[in-house]
Amino acid sequence: MDESQLIARVRAGDSAAERALYDAHVDRVYRLAFRLAGDDALAQDFTQETFIRAFDRLGSFRGDAAFSTWLHTITTTVVLNGLRKVKRFRQREADIDDAHEIGVVQRHAEPDLKARLKQAIDDLPEGYRTVFLMHDVEGYTHEEIGVALGVETGTSKAQLSRARAKLRVALADFAGEWVR
Amino acid sequence: MMDQHEDPKFEQWLKDAARTTYHAPRTPPREEMWARIEAARRDKHVIELRPWLRWAVAAAAVLVLGIGIGRWSRNAPGGSKTAAGTQVSNEIDSLANVAYQVAATQYLSRTEAFLTSFRADANRSANTARLARQARDLLTTTQLMLDSPAADNPRLRALLEDLELVLMQISLLNPVQDGHDRDLITQGMNQSNVLPKLRSAIPAGPVPVRTEGAL
Repeated sequence: MDESQLIARVRAGDSAAERALYDAHVDRVYRLAFRLAGDDALAQDFTQETFIRAFDRLGSFRGDAAFSTWLHTITTTVVLNGLRKVKRFRQREADIDDAHEIGVVQRHAEPDLKARLKQAIDDLPEGYRTVFLMHDVEGYTHEEIGVALGVETGTSKAQLSRARAKLRVALADFAGEWVR
Repeated sequence: MMDQHEDPKFEQWLKDAARTTYHAPRTPPREEMWARIEAARRDKHVIELRPWLRWAVAAAAVLVLGIGIGRWSRNAPGGSKTAAGTQVSNEIDSLANVAYQVAATQYLSRTEAFLTSFRADANRSANTARLARQARDLLTTTQLMLDSPAADNPRLRALLEDLELVLMQISLLNPVQDGHDRDLITQGMNQSNVLPKLRSAIPAGPVPVRTEGAL
């Protein structure tokens, strides 16, 4: 059975078809959610929310783009909105903490490559980071990213280029790793 | 022509390093997630806030005072019981219900943000005293909600009771030795599907702010 038939059966209320559609896409949705969130509990929450919304709104899926593209549009919306919410909440927490505690957290030294790479990616602006993770890490095309994020393909390419440039500067100490 | 910023060696190294070290995902727990999705969809529409209600928020906020006056005058000695009076009081009750639902949505959104952050921070050294204080604040609102007309909806009442329990546990966290307690709270939240139920109770779209504190 091809995917359009599966979707038609889901629309008709077939719960087995819902599960089949979920099985076909859950790994990629979860992977993207985890890459962006960096936390298993959040990634699970975002994955669940993505599928709940997708099943609720399947009636609005017209089939102009691939189902996976439509689904990843929902995924990125759910994840980015969810992360902004968590970030705002944590920021409010930090604001009411004492200044000493914040200072200690910010002065942590991260000497090894893995930690420096993580910090450099975390420090990217949200748009650059999202495009970098989707393209270079998870293998999405610029066309898929453009649809998912609601931006032009050229914007996606430009953001990736800027993300790489920023990462190159941030990781300059490790230049020996890639020039050998 | 190659862009001056392009460096294929760096790009390949960066991809390989990021793929293997940055937030490398584990195998997704398919069955657990599917069970929660099914449960959340069953419990969906705990409260129904139709889109027009968001536009009614400002009006409802302005009329809160009117509701109070209306109730006061309805209960006042010698108040008339005419048909017109009954219609007005029904409309007042309807507006009061809108205000309660809006306030419920705001409260649920705040609680969702708090519990999401609590669960995500379960393994971090977050400030226990601060978490407990925030949980106490939300707990007070939860108990007010349980005493309000918003709790007339049996599903919303069940959700509020679940939240009351979780918030009570967090508010009692011991700052000295809280790691085990946090794990237990998180496990309890997962088992009772509190977060998916909470999320499905919150309508999509921006949370109205004009009636903050209406309860």
